[in-house]
Amino acid sequence: MLKSTQAGHAPDFAAVLYERSGAAAYDMSAEQFATVLDEILRKYFSQDATPPSAEKEAEFYASIRLEELALARACAAGNERAWHDFISRYRQKLQSMALHITRDSAHAAELADSLFADLYGVNTREGVRRSKLEFYTGRGSLEGWLRTVMAQEFINRYRKQKRTVSLEEQMAEGVQFATAVSEPVRTADQRLETAIDDALVELSPEDRFTLASYYLDGQTLAVIARILGLHESSVSRRLDRLATSLRKRILAGLRTRGMSHAQAAEALETDVRDLGLNLRSRLTQDSGMKTFPERKAPAKDAGEGKP
Amino acid sequence: MTEIPKIVYDRLREVPSKRVLPDFQLAHPDADLLTAFSEHLLSAVERNGVLEHLTLCRDCRDVVALALPFRDIVAPPAAAERDAIRATAVAKSDKNRLTSRTSAWPSLRWAVLAAGIAVVASLLLLRPGKLNTIQSSSKSQTSTTAPAASGTETASASLPASPMPASAADRAAVGKTEKTRRRSDLLLSKKLDSGPVVTSPLQASQGVIIAQGTSDSGQPEKSLPVSSAGSLETPPTATKTVEFTGVTAVVEAAPFAEDGVMARNDVPAIARAKPAPQEVEVQGRQESGSGSVATPKSEAKGVVSAPKLAAAASPNSANAAIWAITAGALQRSLDNGQSWQNALHAFHPLLCFASHDNDVWAGGQAGTLFHSFNRGATWIQIQPSSKGEQLTSDITVIEVRGPEILLSTNNSEIWRSADSGTTWDKK
Repeated sequence: MLKSTQAGHAPDFAAVLYERSGAAAYDMSAEQFATVLDEILRKYFSQDATPPSAEKEAEFYASIRLEELALARACAAGNERAWHDFISRYRQKLQSMALHITRDSAHAAELADSLFADLYGVNTREGVRRSKLEFYTGRGSLEGWLRTVMAQEFINRYRKQKRTVSLEEQMAEGVQFATAVSEPVRTADQRLETAIDDALVELSPEDRFTLASYYLDGQTLAVIARILGLHESSVSRRLDRLATSLRKRILAGLRTRGMSHAQAAEALETDVRDLGLNLRSRLTQDSGMKTFPERKAPAKDAGEGKP
Repeated sequence: MTEIPKIVYDRLREVPSKRVLPDFQLAHPDADLLTAFSEHLLSAVERNGVLEHLTLCRDCRDVVALALPFRDIVAPPAAAERDAIRATAVAKSDKNRLTSRTSAWPSLRWAVLAAGIAVVASLLLLRPGKLNTIQSSSKSQTSTTAPAASGTETASASLPASPMPASAADRAAVGKTEKTRRRSDLLLSKKLDSGPVVTSPLQASQGVIIAQGTSDSGQPEKSLPVSSAGSLETPPTATKTVEFTGVTAVVEAAPFAEDGVMARNDVPAIARAKPAPQEVEVQGRQESGSGSVATPKSEAKGVVSAPKLAAAASPNSANAAIWAITAGALQRSLDNGQSWQNALHAFHPLLCFASHDNDVWAGGQAGTLFHSFNRGATWIQIQPSSKGEQLTSDITVIEVRGPEILLSTNNSEIWRSADSGTTWDKK
């Protein structure tokens, strides 16, 4: 049961949550719903050494999408009315999402159908149908969760196809003209790498994410802005600021390591190909493992997608 | 865009893997966390944890980017703001043109800056008396509004005098927004004829705007004419237009020096001030002074985020909360506007809010509705639905009449709840 009912909160707090969720419409009892909420609470606060305070707990419950959580859990439990509501609300959206992600109608239909089957739960374990909706915890919108799960599925499929590409396709991509990768000779000054690493580590996670998204992934300013909840121009200004400050920090780091200003500037302009980096090992980040493996035997508290 | 040295690319890819991170950051966040991250619903600690992982993991970055809602790309701005955008676009175009030109020629930036400093300096030198008048005017306002009111929450907004009259574009923006709101209010009042009528917003904007009465100091106030469009017209010396809309908003005009305008909202209600682009002062009557309040800075360069300012002071609370919506996010100030914090940033942009005592409601695009019963400390998202139909259109007006909540949408729907949002009826 909800701890809040015992820990000095308004006695009807659990009842209010249950009423707001509309779980009763899907034949879900207050006790069942409270159990679901308790599971979710344990999942997100299991890292903490101490159990959450009553206020923190209430705040957490208040942030959950109760109605969508009730719908998802009722669907997972096989409630017909819940499935009717789910299909009427999200079936069409799933198709649109798939089309948006794959940009191809044939693949979109395949992806949407596959996800829909997972949501319904075609895989059985010990005779029990397991629906993917069991892993929805209401932290974000159900629609957003569906998009995320679909994107994960798409990336898994993309990786799978990429690994099984035929020799003809490889030839068509020009693999025969690829330069043989040789072990680079270490010629660069180690101080440069250390200075860059130090400068990067000093950045905030958001700044590093911005840099990685823009320079490594090639994302547009608009996409980064939407992810971070900023305006596009703010991201542009931030990138300019980061590039400038990063350069200054690296130069300062090199000078503290005994280089003159001219030497530091020259070292910074060195082409990465001249440096002694094991590019082969570092660029092959894509391991053979699936990034988001399908959960064959989900733990009780574990969330969706964790390896 | 400034480029970074090539070697930094490689180190950027490599550095995170060298760091020792806890297991929960190395493990992929589940779909729930990624969704909440994309929708900006995580706490700061959780968000930083997810960002740390995203910096490491290209796969998760791809997932987040792919899972962005495509609808937002083409989503039109809210109806209420669309007119303001259209009107302000005209006014902004000249400025933008100038900005683009100056940014194209870096050498000109300094010339423009120097010219600007020269103009400001010359204004200060030529019109020192004007500035003194303004300062004395604000001081007199402070002294007259300082006495505490008995039990009523008060928020007064005053516009500091500006030597320049409001531009025609700004007037047009205010007029168009007023038209849109009046149309919505008309529908609201028409549809609610059968219900318990307190005071409709239309009445509030037309009839209840009182341009007479006595000021706090007992001095008779100068009457201000109310225009046919419902806007408060200032005397000829003060060429500004102030617009207020509220359920039972009483807007009083107090005498002021030369061209200042002061208006006060005496009743807890929805109050939205949309003045011409001047600085807005907010002062609480329960507090012993008035402070200049800088409205939260808008990241959208003010194009789509005309400052909507309101005061929702609780008579029982020591610190009155001031609310504002900027760039689609609800912001709150607990120190009379000295500092602002992001109180609510929903997935869809927020468009309106209403507060009553500790209850705060915020509505936005796509039926987004949040309720806080503790002045924004915690929020509960509410999905109004009636007979299987969900509210999915943009919420443009929220009215709070005790336990009764009324929502007006951009497609002229009225949603009503008589039990503080538990059940809803669509009219």
